[in-house]
Amino acid sequence: MHEWESHTGEAQLHVVADTEEEVFGEAVDALGRLVELDRRGEPARRQISLQAPDRASLLVELLGELVFLADTEGFVGDRAEIRLEGDRLEARIDGRLTRVDPLVKAATYHDLRFERSGEVWDARVVLDV
Amino acid sequence: MPESSSTFELTQIDETFWEISAPARPDMRVPARVFADGELAQAITRDESLGQLQNVATLPGVVGAALAMPDIHQGYGFPVGGVAAMELPDGVVSPGGVGYDINCGVRLLALPLTESELGDRREAFVHEIARSVPAGAGKGGGRSRDRADLERVLREGSSVLGSDDDVERTESHGCLPGADPDAVSERAKERGRGQLGTMGSGNHFVEVQRVDRVLDPAAEPFGLREGQVTVLIHSGSRGLGHQVCTDYVKLMDEAMRRYGIELPDRQLACCPASSPEGQAYLGAMAASANFAWTNRQAIADAVRQAVGSVLGRQAAAETRQVYDVAHNVAKEEEYDGRRVLVHRKGATRAFPAGSGEIPEAYRDVGQPVFIPGSMGTASYVLAGEAGSMTRSFGTTCHGAGRTLSRTAARKRIAGSDLRRELEAQGIVVRCPSPKGLAEEAPFAYKDVERVVEVVERAGLARRVARLVPLGVVKG
Repeated sequence: MHEWESHTGEAQLHVVADTEEEVFGEAVDALGRLVELDRRGEPARRQISLQAPDRASLLVELLGELVFLADTEGFVGDRAEIRLEGDRLEARIDGRLTRVDPLVKAATYHDLRFERSGEVWDARVVLDV
Repeated sequence: MPESSSTFELTQIDETFWEISAPARPDMRVPARVFADGELAQAITRDESLGQLQNVATLPGVVGAALAMPDIHQGYGFPVGGVAAMELPDGVVSPGGVGYDINCGVRLLALPLTESELGDRREAFVHEIARSVPAGAGKGGGRSRDRADLERVLREGSSVLGSDDDVERTESHGCLPGADPDAVSERAKERGRGQLGTMGSGNHFVEVQRVDRVLDPAAEPFGLREGQVTVLIHSGSRGLGHQVCTDYVKLMDEAMRRYGIELPDRQLACCPASSPEGQAYLGAMAASANFAWTNRQAIADAVRQAVGSVLGRQAAAETRQVYDVAHNVAKEEEYDGRRVLVHRKGATRAFPAGSGEIPEAYRDVGQPVFIPGSMGTASYVLAGEAGSMTRSFGTTCHGAGRTLSRTAARKRIAGSDLRRELEAQGIVVRCPSPKGLAEEAPFAYKDVERVVEVVERAGLARRVARLVPLGVVKG
């Protein structure tokens, strides 16, 4: 699950999931719902390969890639298949080309978190809007 | 990384100036100081913004104090409304201290007619602006630029599109020196290529206004009189600037260990301004700033075309630019004989009368500054005052400042209800996203009247004119 937490200036995303992969998938869904202006659109798929020193940085990288795709193509993700191997992430994202709100400028490192919390994975990232 | 702590004691220095002293945290190199009255000071303590200001006070090379304007609110890395000057050549430059929207700023146009002369053409005028100035994402809708053309924009800024008169009435003549298009990544160029002349979203807007009250004789050289129609444009460097900041925060996050820099917040990632990384960022930042000025120029051109379509060619030809100011940028300036790099993140340069950096026409009265209020409330035209040079590195506030999160604003009002409320006040509203409209509700912001009163009492800038909205176009 994900929720948008209170943050005076920006948008703060909090994700809780059973697996690390699900955290990334949930973040794809959260960003897609935040920026789409239309639930319709031409179906599209994008493959993304990323590398970063830790999971939290990978989350920032993935969201940054999705912001880039929304900005340049109007692509929003609906479902993601995520594979994690060492410091690499491979994502196959099914979504749509549609009308998007150019709201999100970037994903930031501020208060960034990606950690095990009891039985679940817990992540937090602040987006500049 | 060291842990940051937001425990502090906020001490009042004078009626509009507050301080957290440097010993409040062992990693602070200078005090953190805020311009505010009692009520604003209390409001500021309700979010994390003062903890963020203390983090800014830890940056290597910071001079004097980490400062905040009365519109300060929680951001990421720097608080919004934050100002920090770094000693040159070896103090740091922090891309997060400028922000993702490099040279986000505002431009004011003055039309040669009054609200009553605009009359019943107001709705058509606002509609025409909405049609001419897209928000711009995905397919964009802005002016597409080929490679050579984009490089020219990045190098030369406003003058690529603007008339001599417009360029003269733009901060830094719409062009920061040292712009290096080669330091801007291909991804950033790809994001920016189709976005010139687009507004963006969030709190960006084009607002049609009336001069409600003239408060200072500087209104005359600014070309403003009561009843006059004005258009205020708020936008920045769009995806190009966002990507430049993204690229360099990542680069500096990796590089700063080599310089022995440790920070309480990774988002403050920085390198010495003199380092290869610092120099590359400053070249890319200047190029992005130039893109932003050209973007606002393209939007101003579109507004003039809308004036021409709805109000006639003569009105379009006589629509003058009052000024254009940046509020997210780092600039090399001199104070007390020291060269410093002033980071302004949601803060506006406010040079006083006599400064050689402001247009000759305004040199006797001070630099114009524009302070947008929240949607549906007043905005202000200010003029820079001498106090800014001694107290705030030539800086004043940039807006009202948020006080409520976007989530909280949406919980309090639906976009459709807010639209009805604004229309009931006689304000024409064009916004494609009801959610986005609700997030910018007036109650989500501080009282702009109080904010500008503080900067006036602090001697940073004085009020020249009060503007009220007639119509607003949001991305």
